[in-house]
Amino acid sequence: MSEQEKRVIADSEGNVSNLLGKAISRRKFLKGGIFSAAGVAGMTLFGALGAYAATEGKVPLLVKSKGVILAEPSRCVGCRRCELACTEFKEGKSHPFIARIKIYRNLNFGPKGVQYGYWRKEGKYGNSRIIQETCKQCAHPVPCAMSCPNGAIEADPVTGAREINSSKCVGCGICTRACPWEMTAVDPETKKATKCNLCDGNPMCVDACPSGALKYISWRDLTKEVAVRQASIAAVNDSCNQCHATK
Amino acid sequence: MATYGGWAGKVLRVDLGTGKITAENTIEKYKDFLGGGTGIGYKVMWDEVPAGTKAWDPENRIIFSCGPLAGTGAPANGRTAITSLWPLHKKELVGTGHMGGHFAAELKFAGWDAIIVQGKAARPVWISIEDEKVEIKDASHLWGNGIYRTTAEICAELGSSAQVAAIGQAGENLVRMSNIMTGNSHSAGGLGSVMGSKNLKAIGVKGSKSVKIAADKNEWKKLNDYILSLAGANNQWVVPKTPQPWAEYSDKGSRWTASKGVYWGAADPPVETGTCDPHDKHSIAYRTHKGIFDFGDIGEKYTVRMDGCHSCPIRCHIVLNVPSAERYGVSGYATNTCIGWWGRGILKTKRNTIEDLEAAVVGKHMTDDLGLWCNYGLIGRTLHYLYEKGVFKSVLSETEYNSIPWDKYLKNDPEFIIDFCRRVAFKKGEFGIAMGEGIDRLIERWKLDPEEISKDHYLVYFSNGFPKHHASENGGQVGMLINTQYNRDSQCHSHSNFLSSGLPLEINKKLGAEIFGSPDAIDANGNYTPMNPYKAKFAKWALIRKELHDSLPLCNWMFPWIASPLKERGYKGDTSIEAQLYSAVTGDKKTEAELDLIGERIFNLHRALTIRGMGTKEMRKEHDYFPEWAFHDENGKKPFEPGTNVMDRDDMEKALDLFYAELGWDKDTGAPTKETLEKLGLKEVAAELGAKGLLP
Ligand code: SF4
Ligand code: SF4
Ligand code: SF4
Repeated sequence: MSEQEKRVIADSEGNVSNLLGKAISRRKFLKGGIFSAAGVAGMTLFGALGAYAATEGKVPLLVKSKGVILAEPSRCVGCRRCELACTEFKEGKSHPFIARIKIYRNLNFGPKGVQYGYWRKEGKYGNSRIIQETCKQCAHPVPCAMSCPNGAIEADPVTGAREINSSKCVGCGICTRACPWEMTAVDPETKKATKCNLCDGNPMCVDACPSGALKYISWRDLTKEVAVRQASIAAVNDSCNQCHATK
Repeated sequence: MATYGGWAGKVLRVDLGTGKITAENTIEKYKDFLGGGTGIGYKVMWDEVPAGTKAWDPENRIIFSCGPLAGTGAPANGRTAITSLWPLHKKELVGTGHMGGHFAAELKFAGWDAIIVQGKAARPVWISIEDEKVEIKDASHLWGNGIYRTTAEICAELGSSAQVAAIGQAGENLVRMSNIMTGNSHSAGGLGSVMGSKNLKAIGVKGSKSVKIAADKNEWKKLNDYILSLAGANNQWVVPKTPQPWAEYSDKGSRWTASKGVYWGAADPPVETGTCDPHDKHSIAYRTHKGIFDFGDIGEKYTVRMDGCHSCPIRCHIVLNVPSAERYGVSGYATNTCIGWWGRGILKTKRNTIEDLEAAVVGKHMTDDLGLWCNYGLIGRTLHYLYEKGVFKSVLSETEYNSIPWDKYLKNDPEFIIDFCRRVAFKKGEFGIAMGEGIDRLIERWKLDPEEISKDHYLVYFSNGFPKHHASENGGQVGMLINTQYNRDSQCHSHSNFLSSGLPLEINKKLGAEIFGSPDAIDANGNYTPMNPYKAKFAKWALIRKELHDSLPLCNWMFPWIASPLKERGYKGDTSIEAQLYSAVTGDKKTEAELDLIGERIFNLHRALTIRGMGTKEMRKEHDYFPEWAFHDENGKKPFEPGTNVMDRDDMEKALDLFYAELGWDKDTGAPTKETLEKLGLKEVAAELGAKGLLP
């Protein structure tokens, strides 16, 4: 295991235990959201789904994804094959705008977009680093899911990743504003939201990457590893800041 | 009307003179020409730009087109073909420049297959495309700026995910040796001044739509995985440079430079390429360590990563970080590939030195920001040639000659690159103007001896104002024939990709025989046999595939794949990949032969445009001629002796005979016959040529 990987795990464990404590104290906040409450005792850090539809009136449960996609910018060659694979093998069309991994918007000028002094910043017009953006599979709170007025973002029974139930989604786009990382999108052609569901545990983006820059790993908190795309949007969702590093 | 996958379905037309913006149907109008790339480009030129039009006339068109595969995950489809009249050709005949990057894909995501630009704007403008919202916008704040800043400003306005094709000061100032750039390192050479002549600074495009794939999702994935399994390294080298545990063969010339212990040395942390077994699709991007290939072993330390075009797993561009280059006022980060590093050729730095890397970085930033083109490296060679012959001293005034920092030139100081590029881009003095005009006009202007230029082995001038590009050194007569066909350097790699696979000759002969009918189609490089009909077939096939690739698009620096790295397949590639991809994406099922026929149609339309533009059918005499150097070996070797690329005059005449016969062109004139054109579905073209007395 590389030093970097060790650090990721150390960080994530710290964060997760932190998060557990806070989750319980924010019970009230969660009530009325899509999560019911269940016993927290016996929960394992990297455990499976747990009983997410448990009974009312108990402490909240972390419903979290089994896995998450880890992206290494230093290996990314900017080919966008991941982005293309995402929608081609899911929707049968090539459509980066709704892809659940984002390369296109960071390609030329990095996550912060065009800035003065771009030649010293990220992206192809700067230091040429390309930052792949992926869904963090937020353990809790899950801003996209919590924000959906229709309860259309539900846990996938296989991977635990929240996914869009398109029969409930009305395409209002609230979730796209709620995700601090802008990882959901509303497909302009179908008017339904899209969100990473980890492809039943065999993510197509990971499969497509010609440089092994993407890995599918057990869930861990990656929020400190990945650049926040737009600080202002993250700030709106104040609750995220309690658990996640958003700066 | 049937609906298809792949195509956006609409072609955008922008008339900068009237400000009119319209759309037309791709399928109805252009499907016979694949509805993409040079297919649309030549068709528009034929229908709309009469003979005698000059490159900078408002009536000239400039067509940016991609094709049905652009924007999909089909491997290596990042190409945009830009067709127009070629300012560098003395008669300004038709020509195409091609750029990689992500522009073609973005154009499709915005819902367009191509953009036709015509007319001339009254003031500097740029074209803004955001899905169907297309506007002609004022560019007075951009005019006079380099390509970098232009791109940044447009992305600030349109959104940072926009893709931009822009010209620099060179294009604005109508320097013929100017280009159009996109995505920092991708350029379409030769056509910058056409945009400049239209007062068009840039096209910015941003899309939110999709490109549909007609095939079933699983089939599409299977096809992609199959194609990736046959991929080699850059230019389809299928054997590694050094022996690898998985490899039966290796070849010192190979671009498959990855190996254990070879790193992207400037990555943070450094990334090892590894041995890159061809069965591992997650290491394809490491196979080509182009930093080593382009710069020698020293390149390893300065390579941050590989880069390249949309959806291409191969990655042939290099991201360098050379901090010491920053003392010349540029960023140490620089991305480009191959001849894209031509700025270093303005000096004579030695390979595998830090000076060479610094020159490359400074040169890249100067040329790619000012938007200068090199005519496939000829500009640098011309500079050195003329300096050595003392020509500058005799043609320039003493004041001007002395104002040029020749001391820096002789010391290989990158500041000379900066000075040189500015002179050319801003047309400063006789030197700056003349060097930007291109070799043919330079010969006239300075009364150079064309005979001597044609003989020179260093310049390797070919004909029609361009240098050789994979000529006799790639397939002997095959490469020579290919080089006669265009009005710019031929840019054809269909033959060189195969001939430089790195496989032993016997295997290449066997693979070649399956396609061209005999192993005699293939010679060892530098050990040629006399011309035969199979080589003519090879040359024809290579050209047709080039036009196909430029129209689908697929990258002709990678495809076609006669060979693959797979021992278990006898190293056989698959030449029907193009047809498989086209069929899967569009749903319009076509066989390899059917697609080749379309390629042949497109290629013949190019020929017809050249004939109409020249106003003569005498192609054999006036267009398809060979340079003198090809018939002289510097060491006095004779044709067909081992160890030389020298050609034989009579044999090359025979080569033309056989080549014309293969194409159904008239032997005496080299012009397509009426029957050939009609057979290819070019009846109207034949009629027009006939009416003008241009049919054989
Ligand atoms: S909020 Fe964003 S990052 Fe978190 S789970 Fe939802 S889509 Fe993924
Ligand atoms: S777009 Fe769909 S998933 Fe997103 S918030 Fe609206 S209804 Fe919910
Ligand atoms: S497929 Fe891999 S290398 Fe290509 S853009 Fe995605 S993460 Fe980067």
